[in-house]
Amino acid sequence: MTQENRSGRPQGRPPEGDSRLSRVEAQLRGPFLLFFVSAVIWLLAASILGVVAALQQGAVAGGPFRDCEVFTFGHVASVQRNLFVYGWGFNAFFALNLWLLSQLGRFELRNGWLATLGGAVWNLALTYGVVQIFAGHQTGFGLLDFPREVGPVLAVAFLLAGFWPIVAFARRPTGHNFASQWFVVGASFAFPLTYLLAQLLVLWQPASGVVQAVAHSWFISNLLLLWVSASALAAVYYFLPKVLGRTISGYYLAPVGFWTFFLFAGWTGPAALVGGPVPLWLQSVGIVAGAMLMVPVIITAINFHGTLSSEGGWARAWNDTTLRFVSFGAIAFTLFGVLNAVFGFRGYNAVVRFTSFAAGQEQLLTYAFATMVLFGAAYFVLPRLTGSLWPSAKLVHVHFWATALGALGMLAGLLLGGWQEGKLLADSAVSLQQVVKAGSAWNFVLIISAVLLLVGHVAFALNAFGMILKSSAPASEGRHD
Amino acid sequence: MKNLNTLLAGVFLAVALPFGALVISSQAQLGSLGRAPAEDGGPLFPSREPGLAIQGRAVYVSLGCVSCHTQQVRPAGQGSDIARGYGVRGSVARDYVQQKQALLGDRRLGPDLANYGARTSKIDLEALLRDPAASGAASHPSYSYLYGRSADGKSIVPSERAVALVAYLKSLRQDYSSPEAKLKQ
Repeated sequence: MTQENRSGRPQGRPPEGDSRLSRVEAQLRGPFLLFFVSAVIWLLAASILGVVAALQQGAVAGGPFRDCEVFTFGHVASVQRNLFVYGWGFNAFFALNLWLLSQLGRFELRNGWLATLGGAVWNLALTYGVVQIFAGHQTGFGLLDFPREVGPVLAVAFLLAGFWPIVAFARRPTGHNFASQWFVVGASFAFPLTYLLAQLLVLWQPASGVVQAVAHSWFISNLLLLWVSASALAAVYYFLPKVLGRTISGYYLAPVGFWTFFLFAGWTGPAALVGGPVPLWLQSVGIVAGAMLMVPVIITAINFHGTLSSEGGWARAWNDTTLRFVSFGAIAFTLFGVLNAVFGFRGYNAVVRFTSFAAGQEQLLTYAFATMVLFGAAYFVLPRLTGSLWPSAKLVHVHFWATALGALGMLAGLLLGGWQEGKLLADSAVSLQQVVKAGSAWNFVLIISAVLLLVGHVAFALNAFGMILKSSAPASEGRHD
Repeated sequence: MKNLNTLLAGVFLAVALPFGALVISSQAQLGSLGRAPAEDGGPLFPSREPGLAIQGRAVYVSLGCVSCHTQQVRPAGQGSDIARGYGVRGSVARDYVQQKQALLGDRRLGPDLANYGARTSKIDLEALLRDPAASGAASHPSYSYLYGRSADGKSIVPSERAVALVAYLKSLRQDYSSPEAKLKQ
């Protein structure tokens, strides 16, 4: 199943040999493509809004759409973040998690219409929520921004669309199981619990005063770690050994990594409230949990980087489209773990608090890690499900380089820019205007990065949609390089 | 990890235990906080919010102001919030007990607003919302659409939403003593 090309460049080639779908893949093709196409459309929308938000941030009197209430920065930034996470991230992981667990458990999706219905309801609710934010009906709590009536609909849609991996795990024919399955089952079970409890205490029966912020921070950490990261980790555990054709280094540590990840992740939320008007013990718990999260981060680093470091793994990863993206993501996750632990501590936290640094950490996790892994997975899965070839190798190149450089630029702008901003803000003699002026160079980097990401996503969408359309035509034959 | 039930039970605990220990225990610790005098017989703080300010908070939320503004002053020794004049003391949980939504925020593209009402005037505030560039805040979005022209077209008049938003921003004050954070005399 491995694929390499001798030119040393990613070609996005489909699997060699028989392209007929297995029975397992044939049955999940419909729901998978619905989730995937929806995900890419939302990704494009989020990317366009990302460019608008980057132009607006720091521009004179609001930049583009300066006198337009609908597209004011507070709306654009909120919609962009929600579309990226709920539109792109969730749809893409619905598709990938379903595919992964079906493959690993030889699960035949017999009631695929339920998953399709769930996907349709999810995307309709998302569309409604986005329209409502643009209309000014948002809640003020990040990633719970949609009006509260959207929450229960999304929860039901998640159960229909995102619960299948658990069914697949329960019905696997043998007792054999693998790390990817634990992470996907854990993610699919943890998210609905988290979402419903957060909806209840933040929006429906709001807790008292700052307890709302505590509940919100707990929700954000669970969403980003127990859903996004756990799903992406599952994919890395699958694709590294699959494509390299070897076992995971130190695999015996993986169960420890899994349980420590789930054990510590849920406690890290209050680290986002350091210095805030919440009890000190809460802040300390968050800081300690962030440091303890280094245990699973180190274990995954041993598993991933150890596997890549043996027998020319890095070179092979560079020459394989899927692994090139997945390795990028694996490095980003390790970096996230280190930054999360170090910048949780009060001394460093005091510097970067309220700057763009936190957004940089979130992007490190949701884009540089999860999104790059999702891209890599798409290059592996789509040719198998469509039985077709990637139409253009050049677009694969554009996709990788634009997203990789865009991600690096964005991270530099947010993390380094955030650090610089924090150092300046720490000196009360420096005015806010001077801080904004000093950050204008980073704003420029962020604008260029946002444009690069948009270019990369357009290239990916053109290639992917071209492949899907070709596969629906009879006797399609993609271009062989 | 062959047993699904064990796996699900473990994940359930991984979600439920932090929820109980962090969120529910916070509610138990802070949920009963109310308005209180800094000293026996003194006035109760925080003040009740005027109705217009409550409407103004809805405008603040709907425009997404929380994307760029926090409402929490860190204590001395953690950042330069007090030295910058964002507040006269660190924010405490009691400051938010009157607020239906505690909009603490986590990003400052603009100044902190926890004590904004105490350091700005209504005239300056309206000028900032109407024409930020002319008010020396060039990077602030323009909210000129909250203002219109009078019937004769000669003067600019605020909409109801603008009036409410200004009332809300003016109501944001943390310049009083509370049992947990007493101001130095």
